[in-house]
Amino acid sequence: MTGAAHPLVGDIDVAVIGGGIVGSCLAGFLAEDGVGVALIDNGRIGGSNANAGSLHVQMQSRFMRLYPQNVPGMERQLPLYPKAVAFWQAMQARLGADFDLKMTGGLMVAESRDQLDFLEIKARRERELGLDVDILDRTALDRIAPYFGPAVVGAEICANEGKLNPLLANAAIRRWVIEKGVVLIEGESAGPVRREQQRFIVETGNGWIKAGRVVLAAASGSKALAAELGVAIPAEPEPLHMNITEAVAPLIGHLIQHADRMITLKQFGTGQIVIGGGWPAHLAGARRHPTVELASLVANATLAQHIVPRIASLRIIRTWAGINTSVDGKGVLGPIGRVPGLFAAIPGDAGYTLGPLSARLVADMMLGRQPNEDVSPFSPDRFEAA
Amino acid sequence: MTGTITIDFEGTPVEARAGESLAAALTAHGVNVFRTTRCAAERGLFCGMGVCQDCLVEVDGKPNQRACMTKVDRPLTVRREAHARPLMPAGQGRPPVTIGDVEVRTPELLVIGAGPGGLSAAIAARKAGAEVLVVDERSQAGGQYFKQLSVGPEGISAPDAQHREGAALIETAVGLGIEITSGVTVWGAFEPNEYAATAEGRTLRLLPKAAIIATGAYERGWPVPGWTLPGVMTTGAAQTLWRTARRLPGETVLVAGNGPLNLQLAAELIEGGARVVAVVEAAERPSVTKVGALASMALASPALIRDGLRYHAVRRSGGAAMIYGSIVAGVEKTARGLSVRLLPASGSGEEIRFEVDALCLGYGFEPSNELLRALGCGHDFDPVRRQLVTRRDADGLTDVAGVYALGDCTGLGGARAALAEGVLVGLAAARALGHTTSAGLDAEARRARSHLARHRRFQQALWTLYAALAYSAALATPETLICRCEEVTFGQIEEALGEEMQLIGAVKRRTRVGMGRCQGRYCAPVLDALLAERFGRARDEFTGFAPRVPVKPVAIEDLARLG
Repeated sequence: MTGAAHPLVGDIDVAVIGGGIVGSCLAGFLAEDGVGVALIDNGRIGGSNANAGSLHVQMQSRFMRLYPQNVPGMERQLPLYPKAVAFWQAMQARLGADFDLKMTGGLMVAESRDQLDFLEIKARRERELGLDVDILDRTALDRIAPYFGPAVVGAEICANEGKLNPLLANAAIRRWVIEKGVVLIEGESAGPVRREQQRFIVETGNGWIKAGRVVLAAASGSKALAAELGVAIPAEPEPLHMNITEAVAPLIGHLIQHADRMITLKQFGTGQIVIGGGWPAHLAGARRHPTVELASLVANATLAQHIVPRIASLRIIRTWAGINTSVDGKGVLGPIGRVPGLFAAIPGDAGYTLGPLSARLVADMMLGRQPNEDVSPFSPDRFEAA
Repeated sequence: MTGTITIDFEGTPVEARAGESLAAALTAHGVNVFRTTRCAAERGLFCGMGVCQDCLVEVDGKPNQRACMTKVDRPLTVRREAHARPLMPAGQGRPPVTIGDVEVRTPELLVIGAGPGGLSAAIAARKAGAEVLVVDERSQAGGQYFKQLSVGPEGISAPDAQHREGAALIETAVGLGIEITSGVTVWGAFEPNEYAATAEGRTLRLLPKAAIIATGAYERGWPVPGWTLPGVMTTGAAQTLWRTARRLPGETVLVAGNGPLNLQLAAELIEGGARVVAVVEAAERPSVTKVGALASMALASPALIRDGLRYHAVRRSGGAAMIYGSIVAGVEKTARGLSVRLLPASGSGEEIRFEVDALCLGYGFEPSNELLRALGCGHDFDPVRRQLVTRRDADGLTDVAGVYALGDCTGLGGARAALAEGVLVGLAAARALGHTTSAGLDAEARRARSHLARHRRFQQALWTLYAALAYSAALATPETLICRCEEVTFGQIEEALGEEMQLIGAVKRRTRVGMGRCQGRYCAPVLDALLAERFGRARDEFTGFAPRVPVKPVAIEDLARLG
């Protein structure tokens, strides 16, 4: 050990590294069961605190296109998605908070016959896996979403999709975490993590913390922490461009995606429209600050007004880079066999949607309970060199 | 421009002077409510320079246009703006575009900002042989110091020496073959040296070999009860009304703040026919202990001292009281205007009230360093002047290759220093681009160096003279807005701090403070200072809000409109 014990906590049952949606929920769940938890977050903008609040259920066409090898993994995880959204609703109810959560359904639009055919095939597969999806032609689409431009010919609708305002959700969950007695350590980087006499030593900028168990809930940041303990977790950061406009009267109720192009659109309760869809951003400088690119801003925003022309007169007031975490189409959840006491809690694609449920599953495993889902496909041990 | 143009404001004809800003025309006709907010609060002209986004109106059907930046050059149809109005159906939209479709300009040297520093740098670089493009957001070059008349000349008072000096500088620049493009809003800066701008509703991508950023400064906020009321505006906003359009902010005006610009404004408004009831200065009346500072100033710049004496004479002749050691503690709306409450600068003591049409607040400036920070240029916090100072070498080069910066955007130094600094930075940039400087230019540089030193001494003495307490949150009530845009109150901030939030980003996400159209320009410095004081830590370049593009809102249609 170098230096002194951390001033806030020297020795604790569990240290959760990563204070995003997964780490926060997990810390709260453990604390509810009387476990002493320290939640360490470096305070940098990244995943959950840069999230745009889509509650995804249907398979995202962008991931299918970019990572075709991950489609089996995505399909394996798909049944978890509607449950994850339901879990979000339950979480909102349990906390008695307002997340601005709206189950308005999601539309994945098509601009051509080919794209519609792709959606038909995708919908068939999703229905087999238990999703409530349907294909709408333009006339049917206009009845529920009368604002699309002439280019749109139809859409897949997924009833289980929705959206929430992550600013409200994160704040409410943070309050709950504090209330449950979790020790919050914010603005400090965690690591390296070492194992010493059946305990873990987590170094922070402000001193060391001893913990009986450690949870890696730092999304792609978990990779380096795991590597120091000889564990492979191939979680990669994917910085993505986001835009938000000034407020307008309610217009777009659904979560909008595209069958073949990188665009997502949704409107918050504030009236602001959030435009994303997976255009690239990057991590800049020594601080690895998520930074946007002009090319993404131009392409993303102009594509948005092509899909919904009347938003053209709106001004974009801010852009930012969110960070998605990509693994193999599936989450990485549960104990790490190689290092007893070390756990991973990384939901993978659509980490925010899957966050609270993933946290519940890992918490159950840590509390010695049988999780409600079959978690075997998500075992961190699948990356052990074959 | 000359003549008048009739504009339609909410169905009523309003006679405007051709060339003036829409904000000037409306203010001249007694209109000071331009829009209503989410909370149904009224807002009007505040910053007068395109920063605060409070004077938004609908112009010819286009929502959310800044009245202060809209030039009356045709008969406009104008409506008050309201929060979150419905969008009208808009046909097909434009074809989506990619970065390759955007018009590119590749000047050898790009200067952003046509104020004293930018123009001076452009001139120096051009003399050394560089090909220079100057872009500026306002409708006319000159910046905040050399604001040029945009109306007349019939029926208005003639340009003064400050106007003429600016006009001469612009003329020199144009005469040397420098391209000055006005009405260009640079809203994005990307590493290594890429800029995005909007001009006449189209997007421009600027890819210079080198850039000089000279974006100046904007006025600090003064978050006291009532500071968002229509009729309360910055000293700079009022000065822009007068110096560009010969319009007055109201018939009866109170000017308050810290620093010499307030006195100048008071004199100008009195000469323009306004009744200025008082000039309220936060600093104490200069005493014998400040004689040293006065003497240094007189030595460094006798002309500026002469100006100061003249402004005082005009103030006295106009019957405006000079009240030292006092601050504005609150503003209330009354049947006939505004009731302004003054307190001693310590924040407690006997209060004085004034009834006025307009209150001008000039409590110092914040550097407009948004583009520099977006580029990743390093900054250090200066606790004495309470501002970020751009890290630069002796040539004005920042720590990002090819990016130079000068003038107030790098830390406040005033127009005179920026003029001198421009010569040095312009020549350095030209040399770095491979141009050689003649013996004549080298001599000019030596003169500029000595001017710069002199004006820095002047500034130092000036701020010794005008030393005043910083804004204190004790002036706010729980209902006082800290964030004008998102209408976030001090009470809400206190609540977030009560939840153990120490990082400004966390407070932002929790309360929405700084998430509005102005990008936190007014609330960020106040909040940063508040957090630093509360948690006993120093401010630095990372304790404020992270810089975000676009630094000024950009319309989606402007991104899609080509050529």
